[in-house]
Amino acid sequence: MKIDIEKIARLAKLKIEPDKRGMFETQMEQIVAMVENLPEMSERYVGVDPENPMRLREDEVRPSMRRDELLQNAPKVQAGCVVVPRTVE
Amino acid sequence: MQLYEKTAGELHDMLRKKDCSASEAVESLIERIDAVEGKVHAYLTKTPELARETAKKVDERLAAGEELSPLAGIPIAIKDNICTKGVRTTCASKMLENFVPPYSATVVHKLEHAGTPVLGKLNLDEFAMGSSCENSHFQNTANPHDLGRVPGGSSGGSAAALAAGECTLALGSDTGGSIRQPASYCGVVGLKPTYGSVSRYGLVAFASSLDQIGPMGRSVEDVALLYEAIRGMDERDLTSAQREYEPLHGQLDGGVRGMRLGVPEEYFGPGVEDEVKEAVRAQIGELERSGAVIVPVSLPSTGYALSAYYIISSAEASSNLARYDGVKYGYRSENGSSLEELYLNTRSEGFGDEVKRRIMLGTFVLSSGYFDAYYKRAKILQGRIGQEFASAFDACDAILTPTAPDTAFRFGEHTADPLKMYASDICTVTVNIAGLPAVSVPCGKDKNGLPIGMQIIGRKFSEKTILTVAKAVETLRGGYHSLPQIG
Repeated sequence: MKIDIEKIARLAKLKIEPDKRGMFETQMEQIVAMVENLPEMSERYVGVDPENPMRLREDEVRPSMRRDELLQNAPKVQAGCVVVPRTVE
Repeated sequence: MQLYEKTAGELHDMLRKKDCSASEAVESLIERIDAVEGKVHAYLTKTPELARETAKKVDERLAAGEELSPLAGIPIAIKDNICTKGVRTTCASKMLENFVPPYSATVVHKLEHAGTPVLGKLNLDEFAMGSSCENSHFQNTANPHDLGRVPGGSSGGSAAALAAGECTLALGSDTGGSIRQPASYCGVVGLKPTYGSVSRYGLVAFASSLDQIGPMGRSVEDVALLYEAIRGMDERDLTSAQREYEPLHGQLDGGVRGMRLGVPEEYFGPGVEDEVKEAVRAQIGELERSGAVIVPVSLPSTGYALSAYYIISSAEASSNLARYDGVKYGYRSENGSSLEELYLNTRSEGFGDEVKRRIMLGTFVLSSGYFDAYYKRAKILQGRIGQEFASAFDACDAILTPTAPDTAFRFGEHTADPLKMYASDICTVTVNIAGLPAVSVPCGKDKNGLPIGMQIIGRKFSEKTILTVAKAVETLRGGYHSLPQIG
């Protein structure tokens, strides 16, 4: 199958440099050809594992991490806020 | 024998009898790391001071006559995709090169509570995606049995550090074989626990429905010891199982007499090297002579498992890795004046090629028009594989296969061809797809002296059974072996 690498990269929020486009395209086509190897199946798709019912914990307010702890890894911070490029004109 | 060569069980006995102190054990390991790390390159971050501090506290408790937990004072190292508060956690990615977690994973809390000195953080393939550690942004880790070869992956740093005597125990993580395949390549023991038995809180997510943290060691008892310490319900992991666990350490000597061990022919096909097949079959023969009943079992969908695995894991990865956008933490590109450009440039500069391939594959199989053909079919196949295992376990107590189709390959041998690299997982992915436990234990060597591993797969939560079989294999092979000569 022909893969439109630019379209996939755009959906994945990735930019593929022109010199690597050919390599990624070939590899992706090979990988997709490999994973296409699936049998025909009549079973129904069941989203949840019936053997492992997951239980949500109570939605209680509890102490969490401090703001300064959370912001210590942020690339750019100002006045306790994360700085991003301008999003509105 | 130096302290760094001891197993955790041996060290624990020595600590109890005051034959050595925790500080002496830690110093022995630190000296060993200094001596061989220049050749092995297993560590991304070393934390000798932290380890010394913990050991000192253990020695104080020992002096006060306190009863010690089995892991107190036993030096450990941790795969670098498990969060450690205050200690850099990189996932071997440029994206997280400077990330210092503000919290620790639940497993790390448990180790702290037990008084386990942490020597540092170990190399892996970027975001645990790979089978050789060659996808690490920072360094290649060498296999201590042959420095020109890979240690396997993605927990290659963990396996190599153990094989080189650079830690006594190690934590790894396993999404499609990432604990078992490197354990096989490096001649150590690695357990991928039942999905849900070890909390994933604080494990950087790759494919959440398949990821599992697990113990690695040089002996089966050591792996059991560490598994006992890290398992258990955690309300911070939604998929964590609520159940009573049976004790394991010191309970694995039952042997295999009367046990029914299944052998699926599908795992001995043309994709598996002859030497590997011979070594595993020879070991199966030994188990039979020890009183096990060998029964043929069938797992007919095995040939499709790799496809299902790469579809499901990549789909989940594309979603999990969407969080790396350069805003709240991690790498941020200097280029780009709009938010869109910030995202694009950050992700393109921060991720390596393999991570990009997986994100794009995941994006493709989830995209409009392809979801039913790929993701949905892979999920149906997942159910079928689980049922096939369930039927096989009607006839046997555990299943024996090779862990990897080959032994450690040379650096660069598979890097140009992703499909060749993916084939390394051919014997291990079914276990993650079905959520089962499996352990890799050394069972022989090839003509180059490289280790071969046998995989023992069990029913959900049957870790005791598979570790008992693993211990029988270890005992038949004369117990735990000394470290290889490095270099």
